[in-house]
Amino acid sequence: MKRILVFLLVLGAALATLVSCGQQAGAAGDSIAAYDPAQSYTVSIGLYGDLEAAYKEVFASADFKAKFPNITIEYQTSDFGGHHNRLTTVLAANEATNDIEALEVGYIAQFVAGGGLSNLAAAPFNGVSVGSGLVSFAMANATTTEGALVAMPVDIAPAVMFYREDLVRAAGVDPREIENARNWDDILAISERLKAAGQIAFPHPNDVAMVPLSGGKGGWFVNNQPLEPKAKFMGALELVKEIRDRGVDADYGAWSGPWVEGFANGDVALMVNGAWFGGALRTWMAPDITDWRITYLPGKAPAALGGTYLGIPEQVPADKKAVAWEIIKYLTTSENAQLTVFRTIDAYPALVSTYTNPVMNENVPYFGNKPVRQIFADVAQSMPNEQVSEYDATALAIWGNAVTGVITGELGVEEAYNEARSQIIATIQ
Amino acid sequence: MTKINLLSDKRLAPYVFISPFFILFLVFGLYPIGFSIYLSLWRWTMRGPVEFMGISNYVNLLTSDPFFWRAITNTLWLLVFGSFTQHFVAIPLAIGLNDKVLKGKEFFKTAFFVPYITSTVSATLIFSQLFDNNFGWINYLVNFFGGENISWFTAEWPAKVMIATLINWRFIGWNTIIYLAGLQSIPDTLYEAAYIDGATKWQTHTRITVPLLMPIIFFGVTMSIIGGMQLFDEPYVLMGGYQTMGGIANTGLTSAYYLMFTGWSATRFGKASAIAWILFFFILLMTMVNRKITKSLDKRSL
Amino acid sequence: MNKVQSKGSGRPGTFLLGLGRYGGLGIFAFLFVFPFYYVFVLATHRVPFANPPHLFFGPSVAENFDALFRQIPFLQSFGNSLGIAVLATASVIFFCTLGGFAFAKYDFKGKEALLVFVVMTMAIPPFLNIIPFFRMMVAFGWYQTWLPLIVPGMANAFGIFLMKQFLEESIPGELMDAARIDGLNEFQLLPAVVFPLAKPGIAILGTLTFVGSWNNFLGALVMLPDPRNSTLPVSLSSLFVRSDGNYGGLMLGTALSILPLVVIFIFFSKKIIANLAAGAVKG
Repeated sequence: MKRILVFLLVLGAALATLVSCGQQAGAAGDSIAAYDPAQSYTVSIGLYGDLEAAYKEVFASADFKAKFPNITIEYQTSDFGGHHNRLTTVLAANEATNDIEALEVGYIAQFVAGGGLSNLAAAPFNGVSVGSGLVSFAMANATTTEGALVAMPVDIAPAVMFYREDLVRAAGVDPREIENARNWDDILAISERLKAAGQIAFPHPNDVAMVPLSGGKGGWFVNNQPLEPKAKFMGALELVKEIRDRGVDADYGAWSGPWVEGFANGDVALMVNGAWFGGALRTWMAPDITDWRITYLPGKAPAALGGTYLGIPEQVPADKKAVAWEIIKYLTTSENAQLTVFRTIDAYPALVSTYTNPVMNENVPYFGNKPVRQIFADVAQSMPNEQVSEYDATALAIWGNAVTGVITGELGVEEAYNEARSQIIATIQ
Repeated sequence: MTKINLLSDKRLAPYVFISPFFILFLVFGLYPIGFSIYLSLWRWTMRGPVEFMGISNYVNLLTSDPFFWRAITNTLWLLVFGSFTQHFVAIPLAIGLNDKVLKGKEFFKTAFFVPYITSTVSATLIFSQLFDNNFGWINYLVNFFGGENISWFTAEWPAKVMIATLINWRFIGWNTIIYLAGLQSIPDTLYEAAYIDGATKWQTHTRITVPLLMPIIFFGVTMSIIGGMQLFDEPYVLMGGYQTMGGIANTGLTSAYYLMFTGWSATRFGKASAIAWILFFFILLMTMVNRKITKSLDKRSL
Repeated sequence: MNKVQSKGSGRPGTFLLGLGRYGGLGIFAFLFVFPFYYVFVLATHRVPFANPPHLFFGPSVAENFDALFRQIPFLQSFGNSLGIAVLATASVIFFCTLGGFAFAKYDFKGKEALLVFVVMTMAIPPFLNIIPFFRMMVAFGWYQTWLPLIVPGMANAFGIFLMKQFLEESIPGELMDAARIDGLNEFQLLPAVVFPLAKPGIAILGTLTFVGSWNNFLGALVMLPDPRNSTLPVSLSSLFVRSDGNYGGLMLGTALSILPLVVIFIFFSKKIIANLAAGAVKG
């Protein structure tokens, strides 16, 4: 028994030395051949969820075909979790299997310390100037402290308040009160009036927990100190506590049957979410409801609850990097691509120039025939440029448990904050 | 000529029979193991090796990490109530099924095995409906018997109970069919002889079934230890994945869940490897204890 | 004397006992089968979320079929899954029976140490191995092939340990000696003695290997991400989209992907029963 262990350890150590010699023979230094429009290319792109449906539309459009008749696209689509697990595995192994990989904003933080993905700020990409037309908070989220750009934002999810006009009116609340709410206290007061009329306001406090943190995609560390400024984070905990304590939420777990049905059957009257959620309401969650409306979060507070980025793995062969970059540029900076994606899956454009496109000023019949898309544009442009750090995933997960502790009453606000803070510090040491 | 000798040599044949495992291990197993040992000595992120840590990853985990021991405790609790309990249900179920006159045996057997083949996604979908805080059928029953709604997903102990239930549900059938196959290789003549000697049903089981089933019980318990200590899927899916680290008070955070979080979400591959190796020694220790116990009960087990 | 007594007084008792047993088994069967039934119920609804939950079959089968077959190459993925699972199962059965047999029925130098080593390899948490393993597969040129999902696991510790435990009891040493006296060499023992007597163990090992291979998600996703040659769970995962609510196809696909496992289980399990009835097992 002992002999085997010793044998194993010695063998392992020997191997480890071997392994260490073979490490880090990157392709990063290779010079990148210029994109050649006369050559034909096949570009593979790794996606999750409904992105494939949207990008297929883009690549089938006349505009794309006219500009890039020489490019064939191949797709590798999986579910959200599967895609990111595969991507992390492949990049951690210092390999590349697709020329372009999609990342959800929450996964960007993994790469901001560098490694795995090409720095798009460097030549020949010069992503910073290419992306000057993209909404600035989204660019900031993908930029490391040293100024490297790990991916380009393709869509964003500005958060808004969804409310049911009929239910709110039935409770004697004028919808303008929601639209003019200055802060969360106003919304809480309205929620209590809804409650008094027998109407539940929010499905769950968790649905608004990230709003005071502008959505929580960054901003977890200030000068390497987690959860600062304290008041901001305490405010977030106090908000979920108030919602639960005042009994204005239904305690529906996200994506449970009652939660999904609550948006159609009149159970809930208020909801906070990103632009894509409007699409889900309209197409399948509550297609027959004509009373969902969209307005700003209280006090026009900005928040973003999701978004997609496109990056190029470091180990992609040099000749493929150039064409991959052409595709990314097209998807992120052409109005045709941005608006096609928006039309197909309601993913809101990251390209600012689309916000003045007539489509964005159209009245949306489902949301009370109002030009609600301008609200998203406003929110997107007022988002603060938050700092993203490599420890964000850890902070986010620990914070998530603190929020649950406060909602269930197991932890006081102060206690939850302090515990989360010390856990974050101890974990990332 | 020599080849034929090799084939028919009673001393060499067993080495030939077991050689595929060792060849495959040398080719496919050794490099990942060596790599992972090497990894555990570094601060290793998406950038690759960042800083040499020596054994600091191990020391930090064992002394100052806020989650490691919590994860180990959770894992041990779930091992006892999620994995070991299976055997107390699976053995009687297998005995109940191991009867020539039992009608519908095929149906029952298939029924017990079905949870194991139901995919994790659908199993989770079903369990989140069963245990829903407000509308779940479990809470309906609790109310029916005069209890208050239980917050299965957001309270520490109910969440643990729910996870343990899911594990039991998924793997009882797995153990049952293994025990059933084991029972079927126990000769009927032994039972007949015992009846003639006047043994009761209970006595035949304690004196014949369980002792003769020992190799299989040892196998089942060993697999439970290994599987239980590496438990990941069920708590991960039920408690919200990498967004939460096991839910309230980290109640569902198992060692493997913490390992996966550290690697795949926090991208601290060195620290994750260190967790893996500490876990390895825990499993080794427990397997050896199990072996000692079984060996004292039965001479033939390993 | 005892026999008569137990028969005479036992009749009502036996009846109750039988009833109790069927009742007990029935309750467990219900608890275990219900979720399975539920997957099929959900496969017939467009949206699985409902309150109260769906209990009965819905009207959307055709619609879901249409969505499923339109969105993923279902039959192709099904074929890939089947091919991988059959090859993996066949090779595991062969190599693990061999290994288990050697450990159960031979005495050789270093046996105990080697066996402990085999079992010990199972204790190594496999979670991180996929990163170096992936590098290796790319270096071998095995990326985007079936090989990483079949070859490394052909002779695995679990299978060898399982077969060793089963063969310990099922193969009488006298039978092996008799076969040797008849002139069979060690390798000829395999088809003549070992495989026939190992059937209950083989059936279990075959079932578990097949199910494990069929349900392997992360491995298949990392090694075979291309939709044209990927497995069913990987194809199905691309249907998991929250924004469009098209869950019907996903649930139907899940239901259809479980069915072959039930068939495989019944197939292997029939083998055990047939074996038992024929009295081929020692006794």
